[in-house]
Amino acid sequence: MNAQTQFPDAQTREMSYAEAIRDAMAIALERDPTVILMGEDIGVYGGAFQVTGDLIDRFGPDRVMDTPISELGGAGVAVGAALTGLKPIFEFQFSDFAALAMEQIVNQAAKLRYMLGGEAAVPVVFRMPAGSGTGAAAQHSQSFEAWFGHVPGLKVVQPANPADAKGLLLAALEDPDPVIIFEHKLLYKMKGQVPEGYYTTPIGKAVVLRPGKDLTIVASAIMVHRALEAAAKLAKEGIDVEVIDLRCVRPIDRETIIASVKKTGKLLCVYEGVRTLGVGAEISALIAESEAFDYLDAPIQRLGGAEAPIPYNPDLERAAVPQAADIETTARRLAKGEV
Amino acid sequence: MPTEVIMPKVDMDMATGKLAVWHVAEGDLVKKGAALFDIETDKAAMEVEAPATGRLHHVLAAPGDTVAVGSPVAFIYAEGEAVAAAPLATAAATAATAPAAEPTAAIVPDPAAQPVATSAAQTDDAPRATPVARRLAREAGLALTALAGTGPKGRIQRIDVEAELTRKAAPALTPPIQPAAPAQPAMPAPDWVPQPGDLHVTTRKGTGTPLVLIHGFAADSTGWFALERALPADLPLIRIDLPSHGRSPLRRLSGFADLAKALVQCFDRVTQGGPVHLLGHSLGGALALAIADIRPRQIRTLSLLAPAGLGPEIDGAALNGIARATTADSLAPWLKRLTARPDGISHDFAKAAMLARIDPDLRAAQQELAQVLFPDGVQAFDLTAALDRISAPTLMLWGRDDRILPWKQALAAPGEVGLHLLRGVGHVPHIEDPDSVAALIGRHTRA
Repeated sequence: MNAQTQFPDAQTREMSYAEAIRDAMAIALERDPTVILMGEDIGVYGGAFQVTGDLIDRFGPDRVMDTPISELGGAGVAVGAALTGLKPIFEFQFSDFAALAMEQIVNQAAKLRYMLGGEAAVPVVFRMPAGSGTGAAAQHSQSFEAWFGHVPGLKVVQPANPADAKGLLLAALEDPDPVIIFEHKLLYKMKGQVPEGYYTTPIGKAVVLRPGKDLTIVASAIMVHRALEAAAKLAKEGIDVEVIDLRCVRPIDRETIIASVKKTGKLLCVYEGVRTLGVGAEISALIAESEAFDYLDAPIQRLGGAEAPIPYNPDLERAAVPQAADIETTARRLAKGEV
Repeated sequence: MPTEVIMPKVDMDMATGKLAVWHVAEGDLVKKGAALFDIETDKAAMEVEAPATGRLHHVLAAPGDTVAVGSPVAFIYAEGEAVAAAPLATAAATAATAPAAEPTAAIVPDPAAQPVATSAAQTDDAPRATPVARRLAREAGLALTALAGTGPKGRIQRIDVEAELTRKAAPALTPPIQPAAPAQPAMPAPDWVPQPGDLHVTTRKGTGTPLVLIHGFAADSTGWFALERALPADLPLIRIDLPSHGRSPLRRLSGFADLAKALVQCFDRVTQGGPVHLLGHSLGGALALAIADIRPRQIRTLSLLAPAGLGPEIDGAALNGIARATTADSLAPWLKRLTARPDGISHDFAKAAMLARIDPDLRAAQQELAQVLFPDGVQAFDLTAALDRISAPTLMLWGRDDRILPWKQALAAPGEVGLHLLRGVGHVPHIEDPDSVAALIGRHTRA
């Protein structure tokens, strides 16, 4: 896994995705007294995935708050705190549980700045461990980017590596609007070089991780790594794949994707959420509507999650979402003009 | 005065053209440059643009009519200009002076009797084509119905349009810089098999010792098209795309030695130490020399077409011009310099060549390579010593009218090297006179 933004000038240190998020939270807590952490078991226990870790020891229970087992209640307090001038980072144990807090996220946080004529802002950050692959079954493995991406007023990001996980979290705190960060559970242990100190990664900017000329793969989160793996294999066959890390679902980086498809003429969208009505549909449509249409040399292809709940059986769980081999097969057929 | 619309000459040897369809109906407004009608020649179908803005009147040719080149087919009146009777005098005069190869070209200019042609688009059996194929066909004035699709269910893809453009350009002259799928993993022609490796290599099966082909700067392996047809069909061929050329990956190279190293590695992989005949053109000639120098035991014969590396002089402006050009208009003047017959380079020809160079990254890489290999317009590498060392039978072919590399550089060769100077040929003998080149190579490799 080397999907890594390059930082030629910055002092960097290797850390895991989870450590990078913790680093970002520690920096935020230190530099901004209005930043607080909230969530179930994020204090003494250190978080369901040990992301907050020892932050309660370093910053105390006033800044790192365990909330009761009520996502709706916790999220409501976070939204209220944001309205009154704090910058809460609220952690859901699993993004699936955000379903319990939809009222606060969708009807309150996303709408209030609009409904109050800009007089108030809701600078809350929701951290959501997402995705399948951990054997956590149907109620703990979903990918809801498209759900939240459908709500104006929210911003939705999906960092795919440690450096982006830190930079996007710090950028989210600077944003006056609620930002939802989907952290892929399989990435928590991924290691990468992360710049020291404070920096932000712009929200709404995709990044071309691997330039290529034969086809474009737009992927997000864990799929970025699977796409890169497929691209490396295809390169040996002379198929030159461009891989874009989407990084952000809302706002979506139209320019980067359009420019790439104009160059390659072929597009494959890879995402873990359910294929139908997903992020890939949006990317496909924006290409079909754009000037890149006249450069398309094959039908746009999508690889997404199966039209089913994520199974518990490990073989079926793997089969339910795109794997590197699936991406390789589809990309090869697309490159060879077989679709 | 209304503007005359004539049957254009779009091919070197075209005497008549068949009007296929009108895109504008009699009396309708048309803008200068818009598609006015389609013609079909022996070789291709293409769109003809309106020469002026105004209303179309006196449509003289109906779809299906064959019209002599230069004869009027309609007139465009400026908006508000009174429409007179059909300007018979002009029409007759032009028709008379036009090369009246076909008696059917004489069309009775009776506008009243002419059926009004419309641009009724065929919706039934409309060809399947990808958006980019449609756009390229539109830009090149090709009718989709004239194209054969190689995609699923006969879908016309980018490579199909590009292949047609190549074919269209081929009778006069195959573009030195081929429009074959620069950014596409084009499906190789059935008998061409891509080989794995760093550089794009395609092979054609046959019997006997294979011939390895190395193209020149800013060309690619599809530029051997005309020569391949002229060579025996059962001759096994190995074509190599240089780094940053054709479908090989873009690569930054520090100089000729670096480039030669990449080629030798590729050569070793594809030949597996077996015997080969080796042929290179221009920069590819210099590389062939370098390979023959490093791997002498494998080389049965060496053939050099206008090879680089035998003297300092080179037309640096042309190389840079080709590498830099971003439009067909800026590319055409330099392409004309490659050949002894500049009039063979039509606008369509340049357009087809430009298609192959559409990728700005490829152009940038080639510009950089030109800087490294030919700084200040000088050949910065010298292979005369290598040429002295070659033990394999070596043949050199040069166009007498080569304006890129002067043929006198051939005089650097030792006495055993055979030299053929081709009359009426410029820098691309394999394209300008493929039959002679194939005959000479054939004799050389069989000897």
